[in-house]
Amino acid sequence: MSSSGVEPESPDLVCELDNVQGMVDALTAVRWKRYQDAVLELSEHGIVLIVEDTGCLQAKVYLQRELFVRYEYSANGRPRFGVSLGLFVDCLNTFCIPGHSSTIEFQYPGPDMQLLLKSTDSLSACTYAEIRTRIPDTISWDYNFEPVGTTPISFTVKSAALKEAIDDLDWPGSSIQITLNPTPPSVTLRGEGHGDLQIDFMYYANTDLLVAFNCDQIVSHRYKYKFLRATTSNIPSSVIKDNRGSKLTIGRGGMLKVQHLVSVVRTPGNHPHVDSSSYQQPSRIAYIEFFVKPEVEEDNAYDS
Amino acid sequence: MKFKAFLTDNGVNLLEKRILQALDKMGKTCHLYLTKDHAIFLHNLLNGDGIQSIAQFRKEALFEDYRISSQNDDRIAFTIDLSLLHRALRSIVTIYTEFGGSHSCPTLNRLQIKLVKKLPPHSQQPMPFLTFETKGYKSAVIQDVPISKPLSRSDVLELQAALDMAQDLPQTLVQVPDMNQLQNFVDRMKHVGDVLNVSISKSGDLHLQISTTLVTLGAEFRKLKVIGEQAAVPAGDDNLTAQTRSRRAIERGDAMSVQVSVKHFFKSLQCHLAKPDCAFYGIGEQGSCLTLVFQFFIPGTRQTDKSISLHCRLPVLDPGAD
Repeated sequence: MSSSGVEPESPDLVCELDNVQGMVDALTAVRWKRYQDAVLELSEHGIVLIVEDTGCLQAKVYLQRELFVRYEYSANGRPRFGVSLGLFVDCLNTFCIPGHSSTIEFQYPGPDMQLLLKSTDSLSACTYAEIRTRIPDTISWDYNFEPVGTTPISFTVKSAALKEAIDDLDWPGSSIQITLNPTPPSVTLRGEGHGDLQIDFMYYANTDLLVAFNCDQIVSHRYKYKFLRATTSNIPSSVIKDNRGSKLTIGRGGMLKVQHLVSVVRTPGNHPHVDSSSYQQPSRIAYIEFFVKPEVEEDNAYDS
Repeated sequence: MKFKAFLTDNGVNLLEKRILQALDKMGKTCHLYLTKDHAIFLHNLLNGDGIQSIAQFRKEALFEDYRISSQNDDRIAFTIDLSLLHRALRSIVTIYTEFGGSHSCPTLNRLQIKLVKKLPPHSQQPMPFLTFETKGYKSAVIQDVPISKPLSRSDVLELQAALDMAQDLPQTLVQVPDMNQLQNFVDRMKHVGDVLNVSISKSGDLHLQISTTLVTLGAEFRKLKVIGEQAAVPAGDDNLTAQTRSRRAIERGDAMSVQVSVKHFFKSLQCHLAKPDCAFYGIGEQGSCLTLVFQFFIPGTRQTDKSISLHCRLPVLDPGAD
């Protein structure tokens, strides 16, 4: 009658993480609305979480195996399963109590194909969660991001400045035009709606704001404001605090890629050297990527 | 019907810094029930589907020169708005301490509390108030806190009966490990579901679980201090999962389990604003309620202060109703 019998096969994945807050931060960054379905893909390299919105916006969080203190992968192929992102983040959140370090073990699948989480750092207190998974219903649309030409058209801007600019563009709203101009090197975000607002990042005027700039031709595309906003709306405070930059690349057809870096370093209390140690461990970074499709222009709307 | 007393420095401190802020979280208004020997703050005792909370003080814990008289065996009860009471007390304390409390001149400067009837401005009808009064060298400050009409004789009897009923303690109580940590945890758990399953075992395990169709989320705290009926930890128990361990303990009759609202559970934890020295959870007979009992130590000792008692009773949810 015991349900805790020995399982004949080892699970696809058992891994352990010692900084749950970092993972919560990374996943929260792609949580732009209340109910979102996410697909988790497991591999020997790590875990990828994918969320989509109406075929126009996709976000991926890469949790490489180097982030984990233990990573035992024994599946054939790449198991994929769906979870509710909100529920997953809310569950993870219960594992990070402030002022209390927590190590958490993930296992997939459980006896009923659940994703199992449990805290492992104390014998006298244990937190656990069993999250029901589902079969992902759609093969996630492959965004197939291709660079234009040999040098990708990209710029890197301080994450805080990017967020602030996009937040400000809330006022005109609707759609935002992003223009990269090589002479003089600058990036312009322009919104036209209830009113006009234009924000310019000049490379030479502000090298500490616009950190890098790669563009040899004028490129300009329009993006829906709500999708653009989703890329920065929940950017974790640690990213701003670490003064990190976000990289934006424009690919073929105007596809916009936004990349953020989130630190998943275990913070030993309020240690004064946390910042420096986080730079010494470049592998303990979660990568977040957003892909935003451009708005279809009026005159070639017939193409699609 | 008369009530008049002087709040002691300890009493003022206890109410102003600890008790009132905790009680305020339980609900905006409560009954204040004064008897010959006790002052008792009661939440939801007469109209009860919320958390019941009972904060009982022997008169010496708060007052000196305590005088009460009524035709109902010297018992008076009324409802009072806790935030108004807290505000009045806070404001009068600032004035009171400016004069150095009761130490500087005990006869002159004392904090008097009494029940009065007054004609409020723009009104023909006298209204009942609980009045705080402190006298300085040159000035006197009075704060009137409006209260309800005193409860009728039959209502007071009903309140007393409800109070007697609520005094039953569970057979087994386990000590809450770390109130702050538990509160943080439940605060996060709130997002996942509404119904919390609480199991308490005689061997000192406290197991909390939320279970919905999409997720099961739980926490188990083991080997806690037990008061009352105890049982030894069975051999091999350590290797089980929390769920199996609870289930087996319930089957053996060594544990009980009830379902309560997560919101109520979280609210009950907010009582730690009263800075109790320890807290215990227990399940009432036949799973009638979940009880949280707080203990206060006599300052500087580890002895329980019997003159103060604070406990909450959380209503259980009918598992069939969900």
